[in-house]
Amino acid sequence: MSSIEPLTDALMRDAPASIEARGLAKVYADPRRGTVSALQGLDLDCWPGEIYGLLGPNGAGKTTTLRILATILAPTSGTARVDGVDVQADPLEARRRIGYLSSTTGLYPRLSARETLEYFARLHGFEGAALRARVDELIEIFDMRPFADGRCGALSTGQRQKVSIARAVLHDPPVLILDEPTTGLDILASSAMIDFIESRRAAGACVLFSTHILSEAERLCDRIGVIHQGRLLASGTYAELAELTGKRWLEEIFRALVRGAADRKGEA
Amino acid sequence: MNRTAPARAAARRLPLWKATLLVALQELRGSFRDQQTVVYAVLVPIFLYPLIFWLLIQGSLVIRGRAERTEVRIGVAFEAGAEPRAELVPALAARPGVAPSAAASGELERVEPVQASGTLPEHAARAWLASAGARTPDAVLWLPAGEGEPARLFYDSTRRRSRLAKERVSERLEPLTRRLREDAARASGGSPLDLVPFEVQEANVAPERDLVAYALSFLLPMLLVVMCVLGAFFPAVDLTAGEKERSTAETTLLLPIPRLAVHQGKILAVCAAAVLATALNLAALGLTAGHLMGMLRESLGVGFSGLPVLALLSVAPLALLFAFFVSAVLTGIASLAGSFKEGQAMLGPVQLIFIVPAMAGAIPGVELSMGLACVPVVNVVLAFRALLQGKMLFAEYAVVALSLCVYALIAVRLAVRLLSREGAPLASETVPLWRVLAQLRSSGGSR
Repeated sequence: MSSIEPLTDALMRDAPASIEARGLAKVYADPRRGTVSALQGLDLDCWPGEIYGLLGPNGAGKTTTLRILATILAPTSGTARVDGVDVQADPLEARRRIGYLSSTTGLYPRLSARETLEYFARLHGFEGAALRARVDELIEIFDMRPFADGRCGALSTGQRQKVSIARAVLHDPPVLILDEPTTGLDILASSAMIDFIESRRAAGACVLFSTHILSEAERLCDRIGVIHQGRLLASGTYAELAELTGKRWLEEIFRALVRGAADRKGEA
Repeated sequence: MNRTAPARAAARRLPLWKATLLVALQELRGSFRDQQTVVYAVLVPIFLYPLIFWLLIQGSLVIRGRAERTEVRIGVAFEAGAEPRAELVPALAARPGVAPSAAASGELERVEPVQASGTLPEHAARAWLASAGARTPDAVLWLPAGEGEPARLFYDSTRRRSRLAKERVSERLEPLTRRLREDAARASGGSPLDLVPFEVQEANVAPERDLVAYALSFLLPMLLVVMCVLGAFFPAVDLTAGEKERSTAETTLLLPIPRLAVHQGKILAVCAAAVLATALNLAALGLTAGHLMGMLRESLGVGFSGLPVLALLSVAPLALLFAFFVSAVLTGIASLAGSFKEGQAMLGPVQLIFIVPAMAGAIPGVELSMGLACVPVVNVVLAFRALLQGKMLFAEYAVVALSLCVYALIAVRLAVRLLSREGAPLASETVPLWRVLAQLRSSGGSR
């Protein structure tokens, strides 16, 4: 891996990493493709108050990485820690420290927005007045009052996105994992999502998100990791990656890294 | 949004049972907002039986009315040398219990006797019935010439009118036959009673309640199994394969509770739907049948003193265990499906695993024994039937309860293993059944 030490925010290093992955590998049997190596020894560190963008084409291993960190999948080998919790040893505690969002929102269509928030609040252990107060607070913050009692299945994409975000931050997680959060959203909804991600960074949370939209990564990310065929090709700030590849634009940087990886593979 | 410290402070871990219950309640709420589940678990039981019975009654009334209004033609023929009987034709035309004049002009159950022109041999009498023409009779009554030789009634059982004609002839000739027999007895100086030297009158001494319970004992146990399976069917598919289609599986996997609670909660929700459907079905059928029995009390000569409540209450614990068993099996198998449609197709044949043994258990003569008390499905059917028939087989019930408990626990454990397969909730492809065992061996515990 052509990893570069991040140059920014040395203070950040004093705090323990919010996300720490070492040698993550994932091999699974696919009925059509046979044995697939989705991840091949991925290392990753993300820090509190940082937005880390995982950039890669479809099938690069972005979603697999995020799903392992979110305890949806187990790694074939390697370790991962979220907010200091080993996702293999204590997946439940890891899930309690994560807020997860994907482009599909994954909302239960037969529940209303309020019922969704109440359900997740109960599962997080909220009860009575604290539960009601938290749900009302989120409804206010995300301006959901007009549609709070409408079933999620009948909401617009933007409204669903608000409910989804509110659900993800309900328990104020120190780590946010977002899987292509702006895919399928219109300009306004995308813009609102970007504002939300920035607000979480400002609140001190660690945000790890995957995307294949280069402009989004360029604008938002403190650091970017380029992932291709299950390997992290490079990781660093935009400036560091530009320096590493000698390219100016992220698209060029990305192509240079992928091409370099292909060349190395050919040589091997 | 600013970080709210109280939010994190208020969050705490839930005990497993509470998490399971919360998931079950949420899944149930979602399920009962699904039209198919509501139709099959609630509406069908409530409205199906009254509707079926109403249709049956209306249908039978219509058929009976049509039959009563149908006029049939009876051919009357004599073999050459047979003694013609003048009273035969008026007897055929007269409706029993109705004066001949009234019957002739009446609208119901009319019979038009048609006498053959001249005498006919037997084959010609048969041929008359088969002949084509506007005046062809629906049945032919033929009197042979030989003394003591019985008269013959030719009819075609494949024709409704012919069957009707046969019934009416039999019905109308019976009083004539009796009267002729009595006249003959008197003419020979004897008493008509001498012609009946030994008469048997049947008297059923079974209590009325037992009669109804006996009839229900064959129907309700089958219904318990069928309705439990049908009640669990849609929720089982909806909460597993349906979740993949709704793209909510990932959300469910991220719930901040142990996966075991998630899987158990799903099975519990399916079980609750199955129990509700079964209870509603049994109650609806019992009440409807009871109402019908009450209406028909006099005409059938059978009383009905209400639902077999004690038997229903006694079978409730067994039904609950059985519902767990069914729900776990259906939920586990449905989790192999990649889509709702495939889930339905997959569970279709699986239903037979429950329904066929239930049918075997409903065979008259098969009784609850210690051996059968260990056979799943058959045991609950036989135990319920025995309870409805008022049999107190405590040892057998205990074995049934124990074996159902064991089967339910095994089924729940296997279902949880199937649901816990990594990536199973996200897979969009159906897992072939032959790969299930391998997956069960390789799947780890719940995370």
